[in-house]
Amino acid sequence: MSTFLELLFAGIALGAVYALVALGFTVVFRASRVINFAQGELLALGAFVVSWLVIDIHVPFWLAFVVGAAGTGLAAFIFQQGVLRFALGRPDFTIVMLTLGLATVLQAVLPTLFGSTGRANGDPWGGTSVRAGDVALAWVQVWTIVAALLVLAAFWVFNNHSKYGLAMRSAASDPEAALAVGVPLRRVYATAWVLAGVVACIGGVFLGGYPNTVDPNIGNTALLAFPAIILGGIDSTTGAVVGGFLIGIVEELTAGYQPQYASWLGSNFYLVAPYVLMIIVLLIRPYGLFGSRPAERL
Amino acid sequence: MNALEVRSLTLRFGAVAALSDVSFEVGPAELFAVIGPNGAGKTSLFNLLTRVYEPTAGSVAYFGDDMARWRPHHLAGRGIARTFQNLGLFPYMSVLDNVLVGRGHLMRQGVVRAGLRPPGTRAAEHRHAAAARDALDFVGLSKVAAMPVAVLPYGLRKRVELARALAMEPKLLLLDEPVAGMSRAERSEVVDLITAIRKDREMAIILVEHDMGVVMSLAERVLVLDFGKPIALGTPAVVQRDPQVIAAYLGEVA
Amino acid sequence: MKTRVIVIAVALAVALVLPFLLDAYWLSTFVFVLIAAIGALGLDVLTGRTGQISLGHAFFLGVGAYVGGFIGADHGFTAALWIPAAGIIAGLLGVIVGPTALRLRGLYLAIVTIGLIYIGQHIFVNVTALTGGPGGRAFVDPAFGGFTFTGGLDVAGLSFDRNGLFYYLALLLLVLAMVFVHNLARSSVGRAMTAVRDGELAAAVLGVNVARTKVAAFGISAGLAGVAGALYGSFLTFAVPTDWNLALSIEYVVMIVVGGMATLWGPVLGALFVIGLPALLQQVSGSQPFFGALQPADAAAIVYGVILIVFLLLEPRGVVGLVERVIHLIKRNRQMSLEPSGG
Repeated sequence: MSTFLELLFAGIALGAVYALVALGFTVVFRASRVINFAQGELLALGAFVVSWLVIDIHVPFWLAFVVGAAGTGLAAFIFQQGVLRFALGRPDFTIVMLTLGLATVLQAVLPTLFGSTGRANGDPWGGTSVRAGDVALAWVQVWTIVAALLVLAAFWVFNNHSKYGLAMRSAASDPEAALAVGVPLRRVYATAWVLAGVVACIGGVFLGGYPNTVDPNIGNTALLAFPAIILGGIDSTTGAVVGGFLIGIVEELTAGYQPQYASWLGSNFYLVAPYVLMIIVLLIRPYGLFGSRPAERL
Repeated sequence: MNALEVRSLTLRFGAVAALSDVSFEVGPAELFAVIGPNGAGKTSLFNLLTRVYEPTAGSVAYFGDDMARWRPHHLAGRGIARTFQNLGLFPYMSVLDNVLVGRGHLMRQGVVRAGLRPPGTRAAEHRHAAAARDALDFVGLSKVAAMPVAVLPYGLRKRVELARALAMEPKLLLLDEPVAGMSRAERSEVVDLITAIRKDREMAIILVEHDMGVVMSLAERVLVLDFGKPIALGTPAVVQRDPQVIAAYLGEVA
Repeated sequence: MKTRVIVIAVALAVALVLPFLLDAYWLSTFVFVLIAAIGALGLDVLTGRTGQISLGHAFFLGVGAYVGGFIGADHGFTAALWIPAAGIIAGLLGVIVGPTALRLRGLYLAIVTIGLIYIGQHIFVNVTALTGGPGGRAFVDPAFGGFTFTGGLDVAGLSFDRNGLFYYLALLLLVLAMVFVHNLARSSVGRAMTAVRDGELAAAVLGVNVARTKVAAFGISAGLAGVAGALYGSFLTFAVPTDWNLALSIEYVVMIVVGGMATLWGPVLGALFVIGLPALLQQVSGSQPFFGALQPADAAAIVYGVILIVFLLLEPRGVVGLVERVIHLIKRNRQMSLEPSGG
């Protein structure tokens, strides 16, 4: 039983990371109906900056975290202002390809700046853990869960109780109508990207938390959050978080039990279990568990 | 046999009824018009007839066959062609290719044959291109056949749609606002075209239109919809005098 | 019409004499370009012409390579069998996977095809007999009867080494693939694909079987990827399952976008660019990092990422669009100089 509880907890903690990553995708999608394929690289950028500040410059972790989040937000803002702004109204495909272009550039820039081998994450928890009954909980996992819930709560407040939240929702559902009633579309898109950058940094730091390394491949790990956003439905904040936790739990439980009970699925099956689950769900519900079907006009 | 028999057709989106209890039939060579103020459910009716929407209740029979299990792409092969209110053209294709898309159901090419293009396929391709050119000729567009649709003005695009629908060799033609956004001169040209089509071949036509002049000069019978409900059905002369119809249209003007 | 014939003749003539002008490094680079062009042509059928964004192309390249390895290397059959078989089996797999994607649109499809990459890699790693597992496997050079590419060929006073033979084989297959796609584009199937791309519902109402059209596009795309993958594996001589990754898929997407989507020459020019640029930077730098720690491969990635962005913003029709624009300008200038009065 304690194995199960430990796996479950590990799953929830991993799920919290996925939820953080997924929130970054969701915030951009909700504002502009576009999946940001560079989100993974923004994540890596945030993690690298924080690690560099803490380890090379000896800045205290929490301060480095704030600076890193601001820096990643700024990078996202620059991309939005410098590139995406000029593609307003273009087909989704163009905008997706632009984000892929950014991903390609960042993927090459990051190892050039920070080296292509892994480096320590710079978080203060290391391998320390706390015991709850006979279950060992790593501090970094506890903090990840706390962070995911805090960010989710912040988003909830932002979406429902700020004028930008409302503006974003109207921008997403009908940009032309939103523009007509005076929603400052450009500012909404810019805000979404800044938020996505900030969330990316938070996700990156916790993704680098276990095992305690930051390397350029962190961006690819972030792609594992895709099943989370698809399961939850790309346009749903709650869905992103639920999807994240679900994927994390499935992955850890698969890692724990599949080699024993379904070894025919091959070694390391847990790494693809989220994608298998995603495809099964999509075949049943093409727009995810919480997503809404986009209206189609003729 | 009637081209179309519509029985108690109803379409609801949640609590909103886009169409309620609409029944009518269309003869095999009749020109039947559907009119009504904006939001009366005219385009919803077309989307039901072309199986884009699934009706909440009611049935549609096409030359006696129930359409309930048809998918949209089955219609062309059965002889139903449609034009679209907001243009269903493919802007980056040439005018000729747009028309040829409408003849795809007559061509039945497999991928391998399409890619290898043996002489037989080539000949069929030429034959269909000739038929498509005839249709373009008929609507007076043979000069622009090679141009991409995107460069044509709106009025000409509407005619491309008409040519495409004709090239599909339909037995039932659905025209969704064929003169919307046109000048007076263009309108009368399209009216002449439709008259010529009817003289040329036998087909049933359902016309959805805003322009009362066009409807009154072309239609044999008219169905009037208001908020999804049928409020009158009869010859243009009868419908025009119907107090409910007058009220619906006056309501729109005010 | 006449200019087109001249362009094709010149391009073909240049392509035929090119191997005699290139050193070994550039000849092998051009073999990679030709192979990639076949794969890119396939992706363009699916993404450029039918509008289905796929990031799963690398999976089908891998399938083609392993089919080639299984039939050619493991069982010693002729290349006249394993090259077409790689295309057909990968194509059939595309037809099987395609319907999974039918219910999904746009970005959802892109993400599911990423899933295909990861699930595919998992399968590749575990089907050790076929793929050699995580350690990878070797492939063989093409052989026709008793003749193999390995030793080269001397004929009519000309001598072709392994790279040269690969070059002409890939060129032949690319030309065949281009003819196939060109024919397809002007057939009812090709028109149906464009119609599906530009308006699915309208296409359906006009009688286009949307599902069948998409599945056909998946099949052709995967089939050409299979041929490209088989050649790629054979030319590389060795591959590990992780070679067929997302980055490889993205390279192909960049090829068709930069080259010009839904055009015949776009995928070829795009392949030339995406494969040629890193090779050029590699040679210029002599495999040494540029200033500081910038590796040539990274420098190439930065350049083509930036160029991708610039093209998307300024010339969405890619290199082909740019060339057409230049030709148009020249024609107009010539007309103006012929008619000084200005008409």
